[in-house]
Amino acid sequence: MAGGEGYTDAEVMLRVKAGDQSAFDYLVQKYRRPLVGFMYRMARNAAVAEDLAQEVFLRVYRSRHTYEASAKFTTWLYRIATNLAVNHARDTRHERAEVTVSLDEPDEETGTTPDLADGTITAEEALVRREKMLAIRSKVEALPERQKMAVVMHKYQQMDYKQISEVLKLSESATKSLLFRAYETLREQLKEFV
Amino acid sequence: MKCKDIQEVMPDLASGLVEVTPEIGSHMAGCGACATKMREFQQTMALLDEWKAPEPSPYFDVRLQARLREEMAKPQAGRLGWFRRPVLAAALTVLMGVGVGLFYAKGGGMYNSQDSEVATMDSPVQSAEPGTAVGDLQALEKNHDLYSDFDLLDDLEVQHNVVANP
Repeated sequence: MAGGEGYTDAEVMLRVKAGDQSAFDYLVQKYRRPLVGFMYRMARNAAVAEDLAQEVFLRVYRSRHTYEASAKFTTWLYRIATNLAVNHARDTRHERAEVTVSLDEPDEETGTTPDLADGTITAEEALVRREKMLAIRSKVEALPERQKMAVVMHKYQQMDYKQISEVLKLSESATKSLLFRAYETLREQLKEFV
Repeated sequence: MKCKDIQEVMPDLASGLVEVTPEIGSHMAGCGACATKMREFQQTMALLDEWKAPEPSPYFDVRLQARLREEMAKPQAGRLGWFRRPVLAAALTVLMGVGVGLFYAKGGGMYNSQDSEVATMDSPVQSAEPGTAVGDLQALEKNHDLYSDFDLLDDLEVQHNVVANP
């Protein structure tokens, strides 16, 4: 099996269980980008996000012998990811410093600096944009843990209510209510930026 | 359709993940509050879209492969690995239980109350075997005066020729 085309992810994972290394490589290639994105929004740091995403894949690999295709693969994958993200947030909650806005220093989370040299945006515009980014990040970050996970999965991973409810082990109606409350909070707190 | 029903699907509607059904459309047309909220939700969703995540770095795969190689190099616990640890713990517990049981069965318990009461009544200080730590301490206590005189001997000037007259 050279890859996983034509198979469901659960079937590919069963191939991993049977010892097919190329099947595991296929899953890594398919989910590395979404997982790094998920972890970045949960951990707010690009380097940490990569470490955590790698850890998710390692755990998938370690658990290959006990994998049962009873649940959707992505549900299992994101359950591992959310557990890791929550543990990381708990372990580092005292390490988070107050975020400040400066155009002189690179963004410590992404390592990028506002590109003012090409003249497409002014320093003022760059500052406003960066403030807006910080507001979005900090407001999402400030949501209660489950609301935050639900928003990240819904908004940025395009997961549906059913999948989110399975990952969070909630009923579908509880997930809908959770998401509505989360977006209500964000709507209220971010209205000055819209 | 009620406002509560609209609220439940509003995140999906505002994100464009589901289409507006005629039923939802007719509710929106007649409910200003839901229509306003929907518009604000759409604006919030558009704002949240601006938060982009970085792409995985070029070293992501290299580092993951290195971690996987480490993982593969680790000795495997085997199929009964999960079973052996609890069995080992249970075996140790049983062994300890048997050991403690035998200790008490032979009357060697620390809190053997009968024995200690007898010892306290008959002889307040039991003499211990010479050569043991307790025995040595008892010997030191009994011969305190004698041993303190040794200090005087230490203070005397050493005479190397023991047969000569001082």
